[in-house]
Amino acid sequence: MEDNTPASFVDQLVVPGDVVLDLSKMGNQTIKLGGGLHQDCDAITVTKAGRLRFSKPNKYWVESSQKRYVPCVEDTVLGIVVDSKADNFLVDIKGPALAFLPVLAFEGGTRRNIPKFEAGTLLYVRVVKANTGMNPELSCTDASGKAAEFGPLKDGYMFESSTGLSRMLLSSPTCPVLEALGKKLSFEIAVGLNGRVWVNASSPSTVILVANAIMNSESLSVVQQKIMVDKLLQRIQ
Amino acid sequence: MRQIRGEIGAVAKADGSAFFEMGNTKVIAAVYGPREGFGKDGETHSYWSENSRVNYKVENRSQQISDQALVRCEYTMANFSTGDRMRKPKGDRRSTEISLVIRQTMEACILTHLMPRSQIDIFVQVLQADGGTRSACINAATLALADAGIPMRDLVTSCSAGYLNSTPLLDLNYVEDSAGGPDVTVGILPKLDKVTLLQMDAKLPMDIFENVMQLAIEGCKAIANYIREVFDVKACVASMVICLVLIFSTSDLYMGIFLDSGIGGHYNCSFVLCNIFVKKINRNPQKQAPSDGSTCFYGKQKWEELLISTRDES
Repeated sequence: MEDNTPASFVDQLVVPGDVVLDLSKMGNQTIKLGGGLHQDCDAITVTKAGRLRFSKPNKYWVESSQKRYVPCVEDTVLGIVVDSKADNFLVDIKGPALAFLPVLAFEGGTRRNIPKFEAGTLLYVRVVKANTGMNPELSCTDASGKAAEFGPLKDGYMFESSTGLSRMLLSSPTCPVLEALGKKLSFEIAVGLNGRVWVNASSPSTVILVANAIMNSESLSVVQQKIMVDKLLQRIQ
Repeated sequence: MRQIRGEIGAVAKADGSAFFEMGNTKVIAAVYGPREGFGKDGETHSYWSENSRVNYKVENRSQQISDQALVRCEYTMANFSTGDRMRKPKGDRRSTEISLVIRQTMEACILTHLMPRSQIDIFVQVLQADGGTRSACINAATLALADAGIPMRDLVTSCSAGYLNSTPLLDLNYVEDSAGGPDVTVGILPKLDKVTLLQMDAKLPMDIFENVMQLAIEGCKAIANYIREVFDVKACVASMVICLVLIFSTSDLYMGIFLDSGIGGHYNCSFVLCNIFVKKINRNPQKQAPSDGSTCFYGKQKWEELLISTRDES
């Protein structure tokens, strides 16, 4: 429809249907398209509402935050065991299909020492295969075969949030909420890219405080997050 | 066209949800998915999952499509939505027909081949019916699908138009609809300029029909522009709510409410805060009228002093 220069849409909010690039005007470049974009002959249209991002030299993608997760390879997620079969566990990772966790995908896993997970166990796992149309495959080891903190998470409290919040918590440098909380409280936290976060601390009030602080920090800027955490901590002390 | 209003995130539990108003017609839509579409015939399967501990009745395995997502849609009207309380809000012929129509419209624009063997559920409920419920449902479903992050070709917007007393009318309400003239409902993909829904009851001559349809398409484009703004506002409202809370946070009462609202309730949180805000102002009408017309904020101690002094006066 209208011709839009790519610069005008980058870092803007886009909705499904917006044509953000017109390949016929771009010359002979190779463009890499990430999530949320779809090619329709010469026009690149947006399929998910979010912000359009661009990284040099030629990558475009839409950054959006949803409650549902799209499985990608090498993502670390928190899954809940739904069922166990002979060869693998069925794990729910909030994606379009249940994921399989092979029974042997643990450090030092053999047929003799298969772990027994009941339905409802929370696991910290890594996505190994994620093709459309197939159930994703998971693993409780890292790429070299070591356990590396993967596996069941005991005690603590798990809550669900959006994928955007998970990405913010895992960004580097450390997210301001976690930094401000970490200065005063001691707790451990596991963040899954599928929108699930697990918090554990010595006392329940700390757990609730951390969980509330994280849930409220989604749309705040850096300064606002620090102020919010300070106010919450004042109520405790 | 009547006044329209749309909001995202009305249902906290759903993956995507929206509330849409066209004049007096109010509709709420919730989208679940894409999620696993599986199960044997007629078996109710319940599985433990934090967000969806449901016994949801699963489809026959034959309905699971191997290369596409399955889109299901259910349209219901609340008992209290029409003038007379309704006996059977779903399962009657009109609801089934409208469910089918909405499903076909949304399926045309969702990129189903990206999510094979999964299912997407759209639930639309009419809270108040005043004509144009079909269009309001489609607009609400579009907002909810975009909120859930389901890949779509384009937004689908819909509007109805009619022809009464030799004038084309846009966005009929119940009175105009039951006057006996034709009712044309059009659903389009605004950027791609394609029609996904076209329904009409009664008869119209061809040339007048073209005028009426063109009018409906313009109404749809206006709704599409508005929906685009709703997404921009979604990002701003959240930060506004937090600023209000920070101002109130000198008082412990409001801090407690802020903590309870959680993340799914941008809508609820702002509603609650506005209520409190209004009550605070109303309770204090004569005391220290603000000099420049703006509102004043009091800390908890000052608030108690004012309460005590008003009690002493009365």
